[in-house]
Amino acid sequence: MPIVEVSFTDLQRLARRSINSEDLLKALELMKGEVEEVSGDSIVFEASHDRPDLFSAEGLGRALRYLLGVEEPLSTSPVSEDTAELRVVNPPRYRPYAYISIVKGVELDDEAIRQLFQLQEKLHATYCRDRALVSIGLYDLDKVKPPIIYTSVSDGRYVPLGYSEEMSLKEILEKTEKGVKYAHLVKEGEYPLLTDSEGQVLSFPPILNAEWNKVTPETKNVIIDVTGTEPHLMMRVLNIVTHAVLERGYGKALIMKAKVIGGVPDNPYPTTPHLEGKLFSVHVEDVESLLGLRVSTEDIPVLLKRMGYAVTSIISDGVKVWVPPYRVDVHGVVDIIEDLAISYGYNELPTETLPPTHFSGRSSIERLTRTIRDIMVGLGFNEVVNFMLIDPDILKLVTDEPFVTVANPKMKTYSALRNCMLASILIAGKVNSEKMGEVEVFEVGDYVIPKQHDAESVRGMAFLLMGDKYTLTDGLVTAKSVALTLGLKYRFEPYEGKPYIRGRAAKVFLNDVEVGRVGEVHPEVLVELGLTKPVVAGEFNLTKILREIIERK
Amino acid sequence: MGRRAEASRLAEAVGRRQSDIMRDLVELESKNLVKVFRVKIWHVCLSPDGRRYLKEGLPEERLLKIVEAQKEFPSVKELAKACGLSRNEFAAAFGRLRKYGVVKVVSGKVIYSGDGVEKLLSDIRRTRELLENISECIHVRELPEWVAELKRRGMIEVAESRVIEVEATETLRELLEAGRISEAPLITRITSEVIVSGKWKGAVLKEFDLSIDVPVKYPSRKHPYVEFLNHVREVVESMGFVEAKGPHVETALWNFDVLFVPQYHPARRESDVYFVAGETVGVAPSDVLERTREVHERVWKYRWDPREALKLVLRTHTTPVSMRTIYSRKEGEYRVYSLDRVFRPDTPDPTHLMEFHQLEGIIVGKHVTFKHLLGFFKEFAKRLGLGEVRFRPAYFPFTEPSVEGYIKHPRLGWIEVFPGGMFRPEVLYAVGLKDHNVAAWGIGIDRIAMMVLNINDIRDLYTNDVDIIKSTPLPREVMR
Repeated sequence: MPIVEVSFTDLQRLARRSINSEDLLKALELMKGEVEEVSGDSIVFEASHDRPDLFSAEGLGRALRYLLGVEEPLSTSPVSEDTAELRVVNPPRYRPYAYISIVKGVELDDEAIRQLFQLQEKLHATYCRDRALVSIGLYDLDKVKPPIIYTSVSDGRYVPLGYSEEMSLKEILEKTEKGVKYAHLVKEGEYPLLTDSEGQVLSFPPILNAEWNKVTPETKNVIIDVTGTEPHLMMRVLNIVTHAVLERGYGKALIMKAKVIGGVPDNPYPTTPHLEGKLFSVHVEDVESLLGLRVSTEDIPVLLKRMGYAVTSIISDGVKVWVPPYRVDVHGVVDIIEDLAISYGYNELPTETLPPTHFSGRSSIERLTRTIRDIMVGLGFNEVVNFMLIDPDILKLVTDEPFVTVANPKMKTYSALRNCMLASILIAGKVNSEKMGEVEVFEVGDYVIPKQHDAESVRGMAFLLMGDKYTLTDGLVTAKSVALTLGLKYRFEPYEGKPYIRGRAAKVFLNDVEVGRVGEVHPEVLVELGLTKPVVAGEFNLTKILREIIERK
Repeated sequence: MGRRAEASRLAEAVGRRQSDIMRDLVELESKNLVKVFRVKIWHVCLSPDGRRYLKEGLPEERLLKIVEAQKEFPSVKELAKACGLSRNEFAAAFGRLRKYGVVKVVSGKVIYSGDGVEKLLSDIRRTRELLENISECIHVRELPEWVAELKRRGMIEVAESRVIEVEATETLRELLEAGRISEAPLITRITSEVIVSGKWKGAVLKEFDLSIDVPVKYPSRKHPYVEFLNHVREVVESMGFVEAKGPHVETALWNFDVLFVPQYHPARRESDVYFVAGETVGVAPSDVLERTREVHERVWKYRWDPREALKLVLRTHTTPVSMRTIYSRKEGEYRVYSLDRVFRPDTPDPTHLMEFHQLEGIIVGKHVTFKHLLGFFKEFAKRLGLGEVRFRPAYFPFTEPSVEGYIKHPRLGWIEVFPGGMFRPEVLYAVGLKDHNVAAWGIGIDRIAMMVLNINDIRDLYTNDVDIIKSTPLPREVMR
């Protein structure tokens, strides 16, 4: 979740009202923000991922205006009559889309520029998937000669933002910090470029803008561009940024749309930004069937306006609302009803406990687990737990069977999923060996067996007896005791294989189904694990016992 | 008041060692029949030198004889050499002779004067007497003033010890006089021989003193955390839920896509999900795949990639279990929960683990609403003994409305423990549920477990250390 920093002074300027910090904290809660720090004029909060319109002071100020009733939400975005043009000429095939919008009549200062920059960065980091899907740029309209052109080139030269010398595009990729970081997003010979009609470079997206046309406190009119691979996501981002810049006109700025000329044939947006928003009908019944709360048709507009929805008309048993285009989190009526519930107050909502209507029940494997745990504790074993994630080297030591490995582990110790319980119980043996003479422990848990298209989770139980006094007999006694307590016939057959000593291990059959093994662990394995005491261990497949014996009976 | 007897003597009298009767004395004292005193005793004994002096004469005695015989010595050194005493003995003896004026030192020469001999002899007699009176050792409660001097001269050794002395109380005397105290065999341990032989008749079966602490013996234990999890199962079942299970290795489809999480969502990044290594590609029901594609492309408007959906991951939550349950059961009124492990990339520390438990539940029904979800949280908190619940708006991609329930932690204040919401229509569409609502919640139960078990480091929940497991008391919440 993005961490956003805003200034109290700036926020009040945008909200057009003085706000005390207590009101602000309450408001942030309603917007799913979590305050991290308040110090002096600065407020740091964690914004909710679904509200990118609140990733800067502009959107937050707007939301506060509506919430506090400073003004009612508009049912359209303010648009100027003139239009601009974006020419898309031979765009890079891997990044074919570009859109612009223009906001006229803004008043900027350092804090405003800082906020707009923060918005871009937070959007880049989240929705834009670190610029891979969308990249955003802001420029001073009055410094460039429209129309703007989006194209691809094999190379070019300009002075990048924050530098004083001209560089080639290749140099930018090699020498600048952003160039190195985002070079993987562009392809050699087909570099994306935004220029004005005189060929002056505005930006080398998604890498770096130019210095000459950057936005400064003197800027009055702003061009916003988005370029990328996902046109609809780009439009959502463009709408958010456009409306944020619009806030910097403090009620006086206008959006100028742009026509997209040329470009890919499947371009869904011939004119940008796409300001239609969405219209929804919200009925009293919809609210009741989702929330269990009965509200009146008169209440709905009051509740929704506070949350920034423009109520366009009252219909029978409900209202029609317009969702502004920057509210990209609203997909359907349920999203509006959530805001209605938030506006109403979550802690004011009715609550009701449904009485049980059906018989409850434990899963059968958990019931068998409970029985096995009772038996093992009764036999004097202590229960331990271990992680399912395990060191693959331990698994290889204990078994030759395949196991699931993680492609992106954080630590080798936890980079595989255990494919048996035995490996885990040996780890527990090791943990306890240094402090006690004899150890008798068991664990019931899940392990995972890789299959052709998935992996099966299996419930198993392993036990361990560690100390000089134990031999295979003690392991067999345990197995037999478990069998007879469960009321099952038992039989042992010699077993040869990891990690046991040849001639000192057995397969365990319950009711003639092979369900486990018991044996003395080979000294070679013990030494490898760093164990110095003899170990008798065993393992049962509880899933198999349940399916093939208990449920079959 | 009365006469005191040493405990060691008493023990001797009944044929035991003193240590054997100590418990009995404590017991008698607790019944106010005797008083027990711990007394300091000084042991003053002759040192080996002291014994020798008694036999050979005190150093000053021997020195006197020598100077009486020769009368004059050219120097103190010559005298010291001639007398055969050790350096220390000579220094002490010569000092005494000079003190009484028996010898004088004149321009280096030692000259016998004959004065003060009587006084010296009387001093010698007194010292001898003291040593003779000690004989070997004397035992006293207070040290006589002369001890310091003799000890300094190395003639005696002083040690101290404590003895236990016992005195009968008035009560005991009265009981004795009234003939209320009689002798009987005491039995401290009843054996089968005692029973069969009839020895118990007429014997006193010794009473136990409960004020004396006993050692602890910890039983073999079920793991406290597993016990807590089973307690949670019982609580959820008591609210009408049936348990369901699902695979730990999931397709991204069930873990993310059916839950309306777009494929470009940050929650699907490698930093947030463990992906399964290798070439294995998952399989999924074609209707789920098709409906999921449709809903993603309609709402999110991007090219949905089935290959991305069929990647295998370690499930990051148990919500896939709910999804699979709804897909297989479809319409109806039911409540299902699951309580199992989930995985998220992390490095273990006191508050994070890469593997933890999630308690997942759904309430499916035609008339299930958000208020029932809130009601569930309140009731569940009550049954787990967690107190009041506060609600805050929250965001989860797959529920709308979404909520986070907070409870009050004794140390940390309000903490978020109950995330949930109503499944989005897009989610229900993907798994093919029509005309029903689903209230859903996915609780990170470890945080609550830490609270209830009073554990501050999450790694201690998953401990395999038997010492910790054995000595962890069961919390009240689990036993209620």
